[in-house]
Amino acid sequence: MLERLRQIVAVTAMGLRAIPERVGASLVIVIGMALVVAVTISILSMSVGYMRTVQNTGRIDRAIVLSHGSQFEFASALSRDNVLTIADAPGIKTAGDGKPILSAEYLTAVLVTKKTNGLDVYVSLRGVGLEGLALRPEIKLVSGRMFQPARHELIVGKSALAQFEGLEVGSPVPLPDGDWTITGSFESNGDEHESELMADSETLLSTMRANTFHSVTVMLEKPDSLEQFRTAVTTNPTLAVDVTRETQFLAAQSKYLNTFLTMIAYVVGGIMGLGATFGALNTMYTAVSARAIEIATLRAIGFSGDAVLASVLAESLVLAVSGAVIGAIAAWIAFNGNLHAIGGLVFRLTVTPSLVALGIGFAFTLGFIGGLFPAIRAARLPVADALRAT
Amino acid sequence: MKYFPLVLNGLWRRPARTVFTLLSIAVAYVLFGILSGIDAGFAHTLEVSRMDRLFTDSRFGTPMPLAYGEQIASVPGVIVVAPRSGLFGYYQDPKNFIFVLCADRRFFSLRPEITISPQGLATLLQTRTGAVVALELAQQHGWKIGDKVPIQTQTAQADGNQVWTFDIVAIVDDANYPGAGGWFIANYSYLDEGRVTEKGTISRFLVRIMDPGHGGQIGRQIDKLFANSPVATRTSSERSGAQSGLQFFGDVNFLTSAVLGAVFFMLLFLSGNTMLQSVRERIPEFAVLKALGFSDSTVLSLVIAESVLLCIFAAAVGLLLSKLIIPIARGPLSDFLLLLQMPWTAMLAGFGLALIIALLSSLLPALRVKQLNVVDALVKRQ
Repeated sequence: MLERLRQIVAVTAMGLRAIPERVGASLVIVIGMALVVAVTISILSMSVGYMRTVQNTGRIDRAIVLSHGSQFEFASALSRDNVLTIADAPGIKTAGDGKPILSAEYLTAVLVTKKTNGLDVYVSLRGVGLEGLALRPEIKLVSGRMFQPARHELIVGKSALAQFEGLEVGSPVPLPDGDWTITGSFESNGDEHESELMADSETLLSTMRANTFHSVTVMLEKPDSLEQFRTAVTTNPTLAVDVTRETQFLAAQSKYLNTFLTMIAYVVGGIMGLGATFGALNTMYTAVSARAIEIATLRAIGFSGDAVLASVLAESLVLAVSGAVIGAIAAWIAFNGNLHAIGGLVFRLTVTPSLVALGIGFAFTLGFIGGLFPAIRAARLPVADALRAT
Repeated sequence: MKYFPLVLNGLWRRPARTVFTLLSIAVAYVLFGILSGIDAGFAHTLEVSRMDRLFTDSRFGTPMPLAYGEQIASVPGVIVVAPRSGLFGYYQDPKNFIFVLCADRRFFSLRPEITISPQGLATLLQTRTGAVVALELAQQHGWKIGDKVPIQTQTAQADGNQVWTFDIVAIVDDANYPGAGGWFIANYSYLDEGRVTEKGTISRFLVRIMDPGHGGQIGRQIDKLFANSPVATRTSSERSGAQSGLQFFGDVNFLTSAVLGAVFFMLLFLSGNTMLQSVRERIPEFAVLKALGFSDSTVLSLVIAESVLLCIFAAAVGLLLSKLIIPIARGPLSDFLLLLQMPWTAMLAGFGLALIIALLSSLLPALRVKQLNVVDALVKRQ
């Protein structure tokens, strides 16, 4: 057993040392895999960045209440009475003054211009309750001051500020009853709210001449309190609402776009990978025929077929994986951390270690397939014929 | 042409190498075909969104009075104004989201792309609770003409009931029209007479104008009419709306061209390597050809011809495959994007790229063969 292993190591090292002699052909595998991995990782970095932004927003100890059957906040309507009833339900955490921590929210959209391409985009303007900040401790002002209730003031998330025109602190934002002023900007742990504007919900409601809220988000006493809270509000005959844990609600909201991006990445990566595999097969078959005499000599002096097989396979894998590493590094340098906006939602492209591992694993599989068949041929090479060939 | 067998022989000298190279190129062209199909879908969406169709929306989403329509119609250059409102709801399960578009006869004259028969339209207008639905939606829920379809909404009727029931009177198939898969068009009168809140209001006016070039100016004139009214408006052409809407899918053009750039770089390298290897192996053979009296330029063109034949044939195989795949992939993708057959311009561009790859990748080997010294090559000194 040990002897076989030593043989494998010896022949593999010999094959790898000879790579520089076949540099042109070997580069086909390296460049092919580098491009496949770079493209796949770049597309997936969009979906990872998007999902990370969405997941940062959600907490398991928060729950969102929408009117029954509503799939998203805009389609939901909750009256003032509904909000008061919900606030009385058990399971909601209370602040120091004994008031439940919840925010009845009203959502509208403001038309802005995207800095990169000058096209129109709608950015969410979220009206939050007075307890909205206790509900979302992750929100921190980075410049200016907080909006004040009953005044036409709002604050802007830092991603929205970076991506869209005219949202600087002090800028006017036109709403039905005149301009509102941006008094500050905030950060919020890199989540969805950083792409939004926020204002006081009662003030916004009267400006918009609306009398219903869209949603109520509550802070639960503890994550397990969800059932208690849900039972209380869904069995109340005066309410027709659905209660969802915030994390689950956001996961459902983002499923559509995430599926789309992931599907594109796998289809494009899969097709490119297939092409790269044919290239690898080509290169390795050539490598085997170039090394035919060397291989036959090794076999003649007693090296086993396994050792030869392992050496060819190893060569293909080394080339494929080094290509993948180059591709992953290129994708990381080019895209990691770049701001990207889909609609009004801004997120950072994110190349994570697990994405890099995925890319390397993908290239490893392709390199294995590309090396296996040439390796089998090398192992079965008729020794006498090969030696006689020259 | 008489050298054609020679070119074929050269290619077929090592079948495995040629086949693998061919397959790599063909696979890349499948991707090219599909990405061009996606691009074509986006281009089509922009193309059918018209410059002479304006949308007047409420600037802040609050409902507009129906009476705005008459004022808009009085703006010079406006031909037809069609109000439409909407009901958000679902069928049976909240997952089956339905947008019930409530309009009247004018809506159909503004949207001539809806392939409804004159009888179908007449039936809709005569049936208060009538609805015209898209074939895709009908198939999804198994609806037939004559079916009664209850839609659960957030809008209450006079008796407090939030379920609105519609009679399907016609089914329209506009598969090539972006977003037409979800059409559910009903009568505005049914909505407005039935509801208790927001009576007499509208969520959008569609405006047909005489001269597409005056869209911006007319839009501004319309918005000026209501600038100081309780509900201000915002008017934009369908085209600019579509441009903004398409951003949702990221910078698709950038994405597809970046991917294609990567793919073609890979191909250049791959086929270049194949040609280089193939020629290197056959140096003595080319020397024999030259010794037999083939001119420098003839052997040069033999090498180039091999490369061109390989690349063009592979491109043709790949493009043909993508043509077969597109109709199959179209259905599952229709939730996300409109996938069309690639236009012939994209196809020509594909072949053009194949030619460029072929020429570039055969350049070095061809020059090498051209400059070959016959005597050296025959005694294998090269």
